[in-house]
Formats: sequence, C-alpha cells, structure tokens
Amino acid sequence: MRLLIVEDDRKLAEFLARGLRAERFAVDIADDGLEGQRHLDANPYDLLILDLMLPQLSGGELLRRVRRNHSTLPVLVLTARDATEDKVRQFEAGADDYLTKPFDFAELVVRVKALLRRAPVERTDVLRVADLELNRLTQQVRRGSQRIDLTAKEYAVLEYLMSSAGRVFSRTMILEHVWDQSFEGVTNIVDVYVRYLRRKIDDPFPVALIHTVRGVGYCIREADPIHDPGRE
Amino acid sequence: MNYRSLAFRLAVWYALLLSATFALVGIGMFYGLEQYLRSNLGDSLRRRSVQVERILAQAPAGISDSAIAEAIDTRVAPEFNSRFVRVTRAPATLVYRAGEPADRSFVAATVPAYSGAWPSKALVRPTADATGQLMISITPLVAPSGRYLVELGIALGPIEAVQHRLLSLLGLLLPVLVVCAAGGGYLLVQWALRPVERMSQTARQISVQDLDARLPVVATGDALQRLSISLNHMLTRLRDSVQISRRFLADASHELRTPLTVIKGELQELVAHEVGRSDVRERIGSVLEEVARLEHLVSGLLVLSRLDAGDAQREWIDVNLGELAASTVEQMRLVAEDRGVQLQSTALSPVTVRGDRGRLKQVIVNLLDNAIKFTPRGGVVGLRTEPQGEYVLLEVSDSGIGIPADAVPHVFDRFYRVDAARSREDGGAGLGLSIVRSICSAHGAEIEVQSAPGSGSHFRVKFPHAGGVTIALPPRVQ
Repeated sequence: MRLLIVEDDRKLAEFLARGLRAERFAVDIADDGLEGQRHLDANPYDLLILDLMLPQLSGGELLRRVRRNHSTLPVLVLTARDATEDKVRQFEAGADDYLTKPFDFAELVVRVKALLRRAPVERTDVLRVADLELNRLTQQVRRGSQRIDLTAKEYAVLEYLMSSAGRVFSRTMILEHVWDQSFEGVTNIVDVYVRYLRRKIDDPFPVALIHTVRGVGYCIREADPIHDPGRE
Repeated sequence: MNYRSLAFRLAVWYALLLSATFALVGIGMFYGLEQYLRSNLGDSLRRRSVQVERILAQAPAGISDSAIAEAIDTRVAPEFNSRFVRVTRAPATLVYRAGEPADRSFVAATVPAYSGAWPSKALVRPTADATGQLMISITPLVAPSGRYLVELGIALGPIEAVQHRLLSLLGLLLPVLVVCAAGGGYLLVQWALRPVERMSQTARQISVQDLDARLPVVATGDALQRLSISLNHMLTRLRDSVQISRRFLADASHELRTPLTVIKGELQELVAHEVGRSDVRERIGSVLEEVARLEHLVSGLLVLSRLDAGDAQREWIDVNLGELAASTVEQMRLVAEDRGVQLQSTALSPVTVRGDRGRLKQVIVNLLDNAIKFTPRGGVVGLRTEPQGEYVLLEVSDSGIGIPADAVPHVFDRFYRVDAARSREDGGAGLGLSIVRSICSAHGAEIEVQSAPGSGSHFRVKFPHAGGVTIALPPRVQ
C-alpha cells in the first residue's frame, strides 16, 4: 500500500510518514501542491493525505485535479479549519474523509485504514480481552463467569476501547466517538465514565484491564507490559 | 432640570448678559431723559422771562407797581400757566409776585426770596418750596423805571413723575424680557443640540458587532458636521483595528495547530509505545497534559474568532430547547454526581428557539460545567427552560460559592478568572463563558448573571421565540 502525503510543514509530514511506515505503509512526501501533482502523475497511489493550505497549488485545487484524473483515489484531507461549511465544500470537491488539526495520530491511522477498507480489523460479534467478553449482538458484557450490567454510555466506551485492544485511545477520540464535540475541553466526562467502568469491570477482579496512559488516554489490554501496542 | 447642562448654563449666561445690557440702557435712558427735560424746561423759562423783561423794559419811568403787575397778569398769566413769577426792584422792593398756580404744582407763597448778591447776569438754579423742587430762572434787568430782578420758576414735579413712570416701566419690562430671552435661549440651544443628541443615540447603538454602522452626518457646514465626520472616521479606524485584532486571533490560533499536532504526535508515540524509562514517560505525560490544555485553548480561541466573524451558525433550524436541555443534563448527570452535586432539570412546557443545535448545546454544556465546578459537594445545580413573555428563558442556577460583586461584570470576559488558583486546577482556560456569551449574542439572546458570594449564581439566557420575534441574522448555511 503506497500513500502520498502532501503537506508543507516538513516536520508534520515526516512525523506522519514515520508513523505510517511503522504501520507498514510505503509513504512519499510532497512539500507543495505542484510537487504533489508530479508525484501523483508519476506513481500509482492507494491513498492521498492532503493538507489544504499549500504553497504553489492550493490543496483544494489539487483535490479538484485529483478527482478529474484519478477518480477512485481515496483522499483524506487535513486542515486547521473545522467549520462544517469547509467540510461540506471539501466533500463536494471529492474528499473522502477529513481530519482537523491538531489530531491524534491514532485517529489518523484508524481513518486511513477505514479508507483502505482494511479496518475495522475485527468486525466480529464477540470482542475478547483476557477473560472480558463483549457481545455486540446482545450487548452483554461478562468477565469470567460474572455478568456485568453497564449503562449505555459505559457500554459504548468499553466497546470502543475493545474494538482495538492494546491501542491507546485519546480522550478526544473517545469523546467524539461516544458523545460529541460539545464536551471537549470543558468537562472530564471521559474520565468519570472510565472510572465508573473500572469499578464494574476491574475493581472486583484481581487483574486490571483498563490502563491509563498519562497524557494520552486509555487503553484496554491483557496485562503489563504490552508488546508493541501500536503494531498489530 | 439638569443644572450642569450646556443649555442651562448658556441660558443663564444669556440672561445675565441681557440683564446687564438692559440695566445699562435703563440707567442711560433715565438720566438722558432727565437732562433733556430739564434743558427743555430751562428754555421755556427763558422765553417767559423774556416776556416779563419786555414789559419792564417798555414801562416808562415812574410807572406804578400795580400797573406793572396788571401788565404781567394780563400778558403772561403765570397762575394760569402754572409758572412762578416774582419781580423785585433794587434794592429790595417786591414789585410783583404771582398767585398760586392753577395746577397746584407748587405753593407760590413759600418760595424763598432770592438771597445773596445782586447777580450781574442771568442764571438758572433750583430751589425748594414747601411742597417740592422748583427750577428758577433769575435775570437782572435795567429798565427806565429802575433796576429789576425777574425770577421765573416752574415745578420739577412733572419731570419727576415722568421719571417715575419710566422707572416703573423698566422695572416691569426688564424681568419679563430677561425671562423670555433666557427661556428662548434655552430652547434654542436644545434645538441646536438636537443633531448631537441624534448622533449620540446612534453611537450608543453601535456595538463591536456592527462597526460598519455610521453616524448621521448633519449637513450644517460647521463644527457639528465636522464632528460627525470625524466620529465616522474614528469608527472606520476602530473597525479596521478590530478587524486586525480578530484576523490576528484567527491566524494565531490557526497557525498554532500544525506545530501542536507534531508536538502531540511525537510525544504520544513515546508514551504509547513505552519507549524509555518510566519516570521519563511520566514527565512526558505531564507535558502532554499541558499540550492538551493548549489544544483546548487554541480551539476555544478559534471558536471565538469564528463567532467574532459572524460565523456562529452552521445551521439555522428550529431547536427544541427543552428537549436539548434535558438530554444534555442526562449526559452530564454522572459528571455532577461524581463531584457530589445534584443535577435537576425543569422544563415547564416545550420551548423552541431558532439556531444552531450544536452551538446551543455548547451554551448548556458550558453553563452546567461552570455551575458544577463551583458548587461544593452536596450542592444542587438546576436547569430550567420556560417561555416567558416574548422570550424563551434558559436558566442555570447553582447553590455554589457565588461570584464576588466586583467580578460579576467580568465573568464573560476572555481569560477572566474570578480566582486564578481555583479554576486553573480544573484545567479551565477562562474561555467557556465568553464562548457562551458570543453564541448567545449570535442567536439574538441576552445573557445576564446574578450572584453573591455564598448564595450561588443564576445565569439567565433570554432567547427570542422561534418564529415569534425575528432577529436580523440571516442563516449562514443554505
């Protein structure tokens, strides 16, 4: 799978490329719109990650050209704007997905994999982490032989964490997945719910499964230490 | 009456100046008239005196005193003309004295005799009888029948009467004129100031949101016109600098986002992949917490700059505010309970406002979050929505620590903290309530706060009814 990142901020581009290469993608970087255009003309890509604010040729213009010449290429747009108007305009111009800076790298990986139809990795009905079991059909949660009653939001948080066990989810990712942006930066709603979740699925048992990664967020995994959490 | 107003002070000065002018004119008139009347009287005395002198001059030597008296009575008729006449022959023989005058303006018998040396030429001098002042003309004369002294007088009473009339007229007229002039001056000044009043009314209505509005220019070609033009130029400069500062805010929050992505990404990689020693990871985690705060700050600033730019509404629909409030309360209930605060919501009847659902929810979340933060364990936070007259009321009350009176006017200011130490530990950036206010004003709503330390705070937002009061904001998204 070969990706092209068109981003004028060199450091951000390199950081994204390094992370994506670790996820076993081949990644090229273009600094401006024209160079991006040259790369697209020269190589076949599976996905384009495009910043909107670019020198030479704007991201929006490049996006329109991409849609003319490479009609099926999935495009993930990065931007510092986050108004829905911009979003609507980008989707009309042919963006497949949209991420607002500053984003979590984990979120980017989730979006990239979704666009490449490689994710979600497990779309199974039953998710398991150690002796914790979540059934998506009956919405029932068990740990060992014990059934655990969760509220709707607790269930949603747990399901999200278990959908990619071992990965660290940021508070923003959990917030946007389970609630909406209104709560961002205002309340510690995620922490409160995770604490209640822990009371139900960790505290009564000898081994804790939900782990706090300071400064990042939460992750669910079998035991400490984990092996290479970012790379499945 | 405003005693410090320009109109009042001008009217008072006007009245003072006018009174002084009138007083000067009055004094001038009074004495001028006196002078004029006296000199007229003197002339008439002289003419009569000449008549008497002629009789004496034509009288032959040795004529009897009674013949002279008869001639004067016949030809001059002093009683009838109310004149005093006395003729004395040298050295001191009274030849003739007129009887009492017809109009009784003086008493002839009491006019004192001429005393002093025999005058060498004619003179006029005042004297006084029993009733008042007289003016006497005294003329020495040499006739064939001897040397005579002719005295001819008239009472000054009529002159004094005229002067009194003038005085009383002036005394009556002057205050009336001054009052009229002062009142007229007051009205005139007010009339002249009316364009200024109009300008100030318009200026009062100009807020930061509509700096494109301009004052009416009064086409008077004078200082007033220059004032309105200067003020309009000032408004233009104000608008420009506000735009520059908004532009700066938007650009700054915008430009910070890419470096923040890199910082956050790189550090998260280190922590999430458990690279390095655990104490180092702890420190990186602490840095990441600060990065998260910075991130919230930057996105808060971006939200504010968008609201400043009039970019508040992503959508413009009827929103059931009661239902939105109730569902938000449910979502925040656990957060409140976690802090030992009871959350109550009251919706008396369904209320609908027009606006952007996401932004309106932001208002409710921020107000509730603020109330929960400052309410101690065991307290109550209440949210109420109800129609109230032409408004829809949204009220968030708490039983918390309250806001000191000097801080109340500032709670909606950007980066304002009532108590710096208190809210920083909650990670607040001091932007939550200013975002609330910006969203409210974008929805044509008013927000107010009532609070006192120890008795909790009440935040009230008054939205216009959906469909009822139409506000002058066009929908932003088609």
